Amino acid sequence: MLKALVFLPVLGAAVVAVLPLRALALWRIALAFTLLVLGYAFWLASGFDAAGPAIQFFESQPWNVRLGSHFALGVDGISLAMVLLAAALTLVAVLVSRRMETGARLYFTLVLLLESAMFGVFTARDWSLFYVFWEATLIPLFFLIDRLGGRNRQRAALNFFLYTLGGSVFMLVALLFLYDAAPGHSFAMADMAEGGRSLPLNVQLLIFAGLFIGFGVKMPVFPLHGWLPLAHVEAPSPVSILLSGVLLKMGAYGLIRAAETLPAALLATQDWLAALAFISLLYGGILAWRQQDLKAMVAYSSISHMGIVLLGIATLNVTGLTGAVMQMVAHGLTAATLFLVVGLLYQRTHSRDLADYGTLAGGAPRFAFFTAFALLAALGLPGSAGFIAELHALIGGYARWGFWVTLVGVAMLVGAAYSLRVIGRLCLRGLPPAGVADMTRTETLAAGLLGAAIVVLGVWPAPLLGLVAGSVDRIGRLFGA
Amino acid sequence: MNGVLSRLPDFVWLVPGLPLAAAAVTAARVLLGRARGDDGEPPTARLAEIAALGGLVLLLAIDVKALLAGAPGHRVTGVWLPGGEWEGTLSFLLDALSLASATTAALVGWLVTRFSAAYLHREAGFHRFFIVLGAFLAGIQLVFLSGNGLLAFVGWELCGATSFLLIGYAWQRPVATGNALFAFATNRAGDAGFMLGLGLAAAWLGSFEWPALTGGLLPAVTARILAVGFVVAALAKSAQLPFTPWIARALEGPTPSSAIFYGSIMVHAGVFLLLRLHPLFAQVPDVLAGILIAGALTAAYAWLVGLVQTDVKSALVFATVFQIGLMFVAIGLGWTTLATVHLCLHALWRAWQFLLAPSWLALTEAPPKPAPAWLRRRQWLYTAALQRFWLDRLAFALLARPTESFARDVRGFEAHFVDPTLGEAGRGRPRGSAPPLVSADGVPGRLLARAAEVLQRVEIHLSLRGRGGAAERLLRQGGAWLRTVENLLEQPRYLMMAVMATFVVIL
Repeated sequence: MLKALVFLPVLGAAVVAVLPLRALALWRIALAFTLLVLGYAFWLASGFDAAGPAIQFFESQPWNVRLGSHFALGVDGISLAMVLLAAALTLVAVLVSRRMETGARLYFTLVLLLESAMFGVFTARDWSLFYVFWEATLIPLFFLIDRLGGRNRQRAALNFFLYTLGGSVFMLVALLFLYDAAPGHSFAMADMAEGGRSLPLNVQLLIFAGLFIGFGVKMPVFPLHGWLPLAHVEAPSPVSILLSGVLLKMGAYGLIRAAETLPAALLATQDWLAALAFISLLYGGILAWRQQDLKAMVAYSSISHMGIVLLGIATLNVTGLTGAVMQMVAHGLTAATLFLVVGLLYQRTHSRDLADYGTLAGGAPRFAFFTAFALLAALGLPGSAGFIAELHALIGGYARWGFWVTLVGVAMLVGAAYSLRVIGRLCLRGLPPAGVADMTRTETLAAGLLGAAIVVLGVWPAPLLGLVAGSVDRIGRLFGA
Repeated sequence: MNGVLSRLPDFVWLVPGLPLAAAAVTAARVLLGRARGDDGEPPTARLAEIAALGGLVLLLAIDVKALLAGAPGHRVTGVWLPGGEWEGTLSFLLDALSLASATTAALVGWLVTRFSAAYLHREAGFHRFFIVLGAFLAGIQLVFLSGNGLLAFVGWELCGATSFLLIGYAWQRPVATGNALFAFATNRAGDAGFMLGLGLAAAWLGSFEWPALTGGLLPAVTARILAVGFVVAALAKSAQLPFTPWIARALEGPTPSSAIFYGSIMVHAGVFLLLRLHPLFAQVPDVLAGILIAGALTAAYAWLVGLVQTDVKSALVFATVFQIGLMFVAIGLGWTTLATVHLCLHALWRAWQFLLAPSWLALTEAPPKPAPAWLRRRQWLYTAALQRFWLDRLAFALLARPTESFARDVRGFEAHFVDPTLGEAGRGRPRGSAPPLVSADGVPGRLLARAAEVLQRVEIHLSLRGRGGAAERLLRQGGAWLRTVENLLEQPRYLMMAVMATFVVIL
């Protein structure tokens, strides 16, 4: 069943690549496929039993018997949440690309391929397969940025590629190390987790260091974030949506999987991870405040928000981990909304500089509304999904580090400063009107979908919390919480 | 039939729920622009009427059941706010006291609603009046019927807010809005007492339920502090001394609202609260004595002031306060049944009088009686009664004016010291090399700007993108070296050497 989910977008990509049609028809086909995939993902989720076994819909075939690798797919609550997020955001990324002028065929093909690779990462139950899909996300992204990006696109694409590849080399080495150290010589996640848990602490630490570099680049964590601002700024906006909405979550997701495999190493480095999380939080927030380029601002704010995810993971207790998973979903949705709005603004004005805009309030009310909404949701205002996430992470963090978590509050204040600056500039009257066309129907629909998801999860988070509760509990139990 | 009757008390939430729903529907109609003109009035009025009647019928049915089979008592319908130490429940306490008061309130509410439909015809705020009236009926029924302090407080506040809105019904007149504010501010003092009581109940007893508050024997100090909080709330709501002046100013609203709020129902909420918590007060005789004294003083005050009033509504409202003072006296003496009966009868009687007030001049042909001769003879007492013992003035001189001066001083401190330190909106300037829109002001702003400056430099050096960034320079240098090595390796002599070296290693 999961195989169908992973390869359905590939089929879509093939159809889009082959059929000799105009851009609009291609858009319709891509939209149909992403809708189908989202529906399928929801159908799968409805069959998921939150109280049932850890891994569901599991299927496994030997891939390379000599090496002990399997083509194994399966989902738990966390990966299912990520799959739903990826499916939803791909739909949004396709939905807003209706007015693609050039390169539509390439774009839709690559986006569908990317979706397939993302599904692969989130559903793989074998580390070798995980690695293959992990690398497979790079190829469509490289071309998406390199072919369709902004002015500095080639440098950004190369930069992104090198950074991530550099990170994943460490990850590969660590995985091979783990494969070698663990008895049984199998790449299956369950086997490796069993082997990894029995390793002595110093070996675990070494392996974890390699994995952390790989995942930390993707997440990104403070010193490893160099690729992000450039890539986010230069990528075409729908790709920025996927990049910050889903791709960053792959890093956090990998880290959670690593926590399952190497619990002793996580326990030993817990405080260091938290320190990195606090630094990322403040560093990203302050730099976001310093930017006048809207897209760069959103990019840096992503670093800040992913700091909350790392903080939640570092708590290693159930509340904190729940917060981390919630924040992954919440940030996926809010960052997507932000990039959507900023991207549409760029599409109309061909400028990303805040100083070049007038107010949106008079002429483009829908634009103004969604700009303000996205910025406030990114702040984690009560009633938005981010609030639930930050609250969980804060409570979990407070249990572990006490008043250090007030640093999160400082970061939120800085976040409020830059968000309100943009709102004051774009959404209130006082400046001359910007003279941009308001959002079209499809664009409003896409933003509305994201907005509805943010509000629904903010007001009624129970379904998502219930979905991930079982898996998070299982991880928490590894650490005696 | 028997089954329906026995399940009736489970539906008691409909009594406050129906008027609230009617208010919500009317509010939605106003928002959607459906309630306009003469045709818009009957649906609003009829809806409010049906809701009020529905509540009354339901209560009467419960009364019948209570008479036949005993009062249902305390029932928990659901949990509202699950908490660790305590929880807020949706509970109702249906006993003789609450059923009697609530039925009276529902009856008066229904009659006033019917009366208002004609009285307010073609008024600008017709729909607004019915929305607020519905909210008030819901609030007062919550006060009477709820089984815990928290839910009662919700109703209590709803009453306060709706009272504010109806006193300021004619918001175009500054007097009306000023009086609304006065009444509301005075009532907030009582709310503070209520909240104090509730907070202490949560902290000390771990529960808001009325039976928990009145059930057991409490330590003397605990009981006294709890009791004082609720007594302050009751004094303020029922306009007893020293809170009396607000009620004379509250008569700015339309007559039906004066009737139901200050004539008959809301003003009795304080009495009801005291009756509800009487077992608690019985544990602390000094508080009971305080209630007695406050009631007696208020009765004397209201009687004297009432003698010299020259307009119908003021005379009526001081008569009301006088009667309520007597109820306080009865409670202070422990005669709770008397106070309950007095409450219900007085509420009904006074509602009728207030509704009649506009026609009073037509009904009474003789001129009103002058103040009695003994009062006229004592000049100073007469003046004091006419001036309502200067309570208004005293409040202004002792409370309002010092607060104002204090606020002015604080504002000065803020303008000269706090604002420049914290930073003010619109006064920020870009600092350092920041782009023009990235502006900061005040100490935190400056700190943030400085931190941002440093971090931006770090960022440029750290990431590969900066022109001349350290990492990029290192990489370039490394690349150059590698290229040199590779060039050398391509030359035959070094290639041969490398091959030879490999052989040596292998051998």
